[in-house]
Amino acid sequence: MGFSTEFRTLAVQSLHEDAASRKDEGWRYVQMLAVNNDESVDLVYSYMKDGLLDNAVIEALPKDAEVPSITDLYLEAFVCENEIHDLFGITFKGLAIDFLGNFYRVSTDVPMTIISPEKLAEREKQRKLAEKKAKAEAAKQAKEAAVEGSSDASDVDPQAASADAELEAKLAAMPPEKAAKVRAAMEAKAAKAKKGTEGEGA
Amino acid sequence: MGSFHLGGMTFGSLFKKPETLLYPTETKQPYPGQKGHVVNDVDACILCGMCQRVCPCHCIAVSKPERTWEIQPFMCIQCGSCVAACPTKCLTMDPAYTPVATKKHTVTCSVPEKE
Amino acid sequence: MGKATVIPFGPQHPVLPEPLHLDLVVQDETVVDCLPQIGFVHRGLEKLVETRDYNQFIYVAERICGICAMGHSLGYAETVESLMDIEVPSRAEYLRVIWHELSRIHSHLLWLGLAADAFGFESMFMHCWRLRERILDIFEKTTGGRVILSVVRVGGVNRDIEDSELKVICQTLDGIKGEYQQIMDTLLTDMSVKNRTVGVGTLSHEQAVALSMVGPFARASQVNYDVRTFGKGAYRALTEFQPILDAQGDCYARVKVRCLEVLQSIDIIKELAAKIPAGDISVKVKGNPEEGARAANVLEQPRGECYYYAQGNGTKFLERMRMRTPTSQNLAGMVEALKGADLADVNMIILTIDPCISCTER
Repeated sequence: MGFSTEFRTLAVQSLHEDAASRKDEGWRYVQMLAVNNDESVDLVYSYMKDGLLDNAVIEALPKDAEVPSITDLYLEAFVCENEIHDLFGITFKGLAIDFLGNFYRVSTDVPMTIISPEKLAEREKQRKLAEKKAKAEAAKQAKEAAVEGSSDASDVDPQAASADAELEAKLAAMPPEKAAKVRAAMEAKAAKAKKGTEGEGA
Repeated sequence: MGSFHLGGMTFGSLFKKPETLLYPTETKQPYPGQKGHVVNDVDACILCGMCQRVCPCHCIAVSKPERTWEIQPFMCIQCGSCVAACPTKCLTMDPAYTPVATKKHTVTCSVPEKE
Repeated sequence: MGKATVIPFGPQHPVLPEPLHLDLVVQDETVVDCLPQIGFVHRGLEKLVETRDYNQFIYVAERICGICAMGHSLGYAETVESLMDIEVPSRAEYLRVIWHELSRIHSHLLWLGLAADAFGFESMFMHCWRLRERILDIFEKTTGGRVILSVVRVGGVNRDIEDSELKVICQTLDGIKGEYQQIMDTLLTDMSVKNRTVGVGTLSHEQAVALSMVGPFARASQVNYDVRTFGKGAYRALTEFQPILDAQGDCYARVKVRCLEVLQSIDIIKELAAKIPAGDISVKVKGNPEEGARAANVLEQPRGECYYYAQGNGTKFLERMRMRTPTSQNLAGMVEALKGADLADVNMIILTIDPCISCTER
């Protein structure tokens, strides 16, 4: 007997029907979980039969959604449903053993829906990185265009521009203090180089 | 009757040497690969900060300008990530456990200037 | 029939190693209903996935529960590997399973000691924990840790076991097996043990199936379900694997199933130690899990099937990590098993189910 997993999407309206047909066909309830997105919450219901782990994903539920409970079919789901209610704020209609939000003693309401500062920082970093990458790409294209066209058409040195863009992309990925340090070092270097060329000229 | 099934085993242990150690007077010889505490060979350390980055409990602090390498032994979980990540292999896992203390402390190593 | 009274049980109770609160509705001496309550040790470890990258989170996963530490790190690593399509070297797979089965022996011996203690069988408790100490010694020698092993990593394992060392492990296990068999014979034939366990807290096969039970609790009710039969990882190298089943469904059956599983684990380790291939123990992991990628996985922990779910978001942090542990699945079954039991048997029933509350709450 092998093991395989499957993911499929499910509409919230047919959730209870789906669970009922699973129960009739002899599927075993495995678990349910919630995934917090920025504006919505996803639910994943898992069932298993003969080594096939079937995960039904209900996408983009509103944060305060009310979902039918499956505890009338699978009583053991009461743990997960109460947990999701306490941590994510989804309400389950017709819960067999309802703790009314007292399943976990949590200090903040619906703690799992809070997007942590670390996650936001990481997202910002990724966004900047992508932006700089796009910029570098654009610079590269400009350079190619310049090469294709007349070589003296552009007054900006394309090679330097692309190098700058690459550097900017690298800097964006660094923590701000470090990026500032690197920038200062680069400026100092540039100033030195300039001075050097001036010295040569004199 | 099953009441004396374990009798032989229990009676036998009267004549065997004890399985336990009288702890404060005797201590167990640590195994060579045991995860006790992290030590830094400062002569080889290049202060790259790799260990600080991989540490899951943020217990290592590396300062390049001050040339120091710090670890908080009571926050360290002895996972060995820093030892595995160290590029110069200056970090090693010592088999001896950190001795008990009444206060949490920080171990600071100052790294000498390389020529 | 007297009137119904509610008796609180736990979270502090001599028989419970972990905080579980039960409101027992009793009529005279019989439990008619029960409401389990958890939530005393919720630590929000799933949320930590946002601040620890996927390589660091393995150490958090390990700390969900001390007894299942190896299982959780293994399950997490396998899930992330399937999320990122990483092929693990086969020597690493074998080593993982050897450690995992050793931790099953250690978990079952710990549980057996606690159960014996609950019957009032003190010397049995000592013997069980003495044998468990040998397993912990093997862990200490091979991984450097006693309980939290920190030996699995995404893409393989951190340490290798020399072939000579594997031979020593097999010899140690043979030594344990002889002594363990004596303990097991005592436990399974002792009259006082039988008086307390036979026919107590019976859960029928139909109920166990209807409540989707997992682990030794289900197998004691003839539910033929064990994740190890799927042959994932090194389990596929076993020539034969049959889950240990019992039809009675009472406390005695659960004790028996766990007792026999220890012997089965010893056989698995010895077979794998003989077959282990040479080669690398880990592969280098590069890149981050892709955005929107999902992976689900199951693993047989000492207490039963554990479900893992991972979702990537393109960064080094995972979007979501979730573990559904065996006890959370078995809570509904525990309520069923308690119904109709004597108040004096409640502690015995709860112990034979072997709940792990800190796993359930994370």
